[in-house]
Amino acid sequence: MIYYLGIIFGIVFLIFILNLVKKNKLDEKYSIVWIIFSLGILLISIFYELFMKISLKLGVYYPPILLLLFAIIIEGIYIVHITITITKQNKMIIKLTQELAILKEKVEEMEEKNDKR
Amino acid sequence: MINSKKVLIIIPAYNEEENIENVVNNVLEENNLVDVVVVNDGSKDDTLKRAQNTKATVIDLPNNLGIGGAVQTGMIYAYKNGYDIAIQIDGDGQHNPKYIKEMVNKINEGYDMVIGSRFVEKTNYKQTFFRMLGINITSALIKAITGRKIYDTTSGFRAVNREIIEEFSKNYPYDYPEPETNMKIVLKKKKVLEMPVEMRKRMAGKSFITPIKSVKYMIKVTMSLMMAKLKLKEY
Repeated sequence: MIYYLGIIFGIVFLIFILNLVKKNKLDEKYSIVWIIFSLGILLISIFYELFMKISLKLGVYYPPILLLLFAIIIEGIYIVHITITITKQNKMIIKLTQELAILKEKVEEMEEKNDKR
Repeated sequence: MINSKKVLIIIPAYNEEENIENVVNNVLEENNLVDVVVVNDGSKDDTLKRAQNTKATVIDLPNNLGIGGAVQTGMIYAYKNGYDIAIQIDGDGQHNPKYIKEMVNKINEGYDMVIGSRFVEKTNYKQTFFRMLGINITSALIKAITGRKIYDTTSGFRAVNREIIEEFSKNYPYDYPEPETNMKIVLKKKKVLEMPVEMRKRMAGKSFITPIKSVKYMIKVTMSLMMAKLKLKEY
């Protein structure tokens, strides 16, 4: 039963992500991870017997744990990636704010000079 | 111009409507040969209008960037407009502008940075417990990393020469910038002078320090001081 749910969830999630990209609400760049994620869920749900065999071979006797482990590692890497992006954007915003404020002052000064003429 | 050097006073101001006019006017009364720029850091009160009432140039940041971003804006302005010396003064009136001239003289004598310090000599300036703790810990950390003792690591009353104006206009930490930049300048083997100054109680309004903020401050500053040593190799 849970495997069918997994398949359904994977498909719905994939459609959701593709739709976001289509509506320009998510960059292609950022969608790739989520597409891989939903394909992963699909594959594991479809080939769950193979997945169980692999986990047993790896010494994981309760296969869902292997799934959780993968998920946590991937999410962790992705969150670091996102915080790097935020830092970069933060720097850009600060730079823009500063340049804009300096330009604003310059324009106002020039306008004042023009008014005096 | 003081001794044929173009001097800019940078006053970062966030919600300082009660102080900003006095601060600017005090600076200009004490020394009418300097230019003053007020960087309004997205204040929610009347700081912008009050600052525009003065003779200072006013740069109005559309967002609140925090003290580091505001001071850096002043440094970019100083660099672009060819200033030889930039002096940062707090917008709350704690710093007495009578020291500006002496700071300029020290830069002219060859110092790269002059820090207006409360603790080189005994002054009657009273600090809160947390502020003192923060200053002592950062001071000890900087001493441990660089071998140089800086007593007043958090002083926002600083003068720098053209070379450091350029450096700051490119790289300046966004929050709690003073200890980190002091240490960086020392690590780069620049000549740093700590000059004793008397500081006044802020004229009006509240200081920002609470115990929780102090803890956040300590963690962030400790981290940034240790990282600054590693980062330095990249420059």
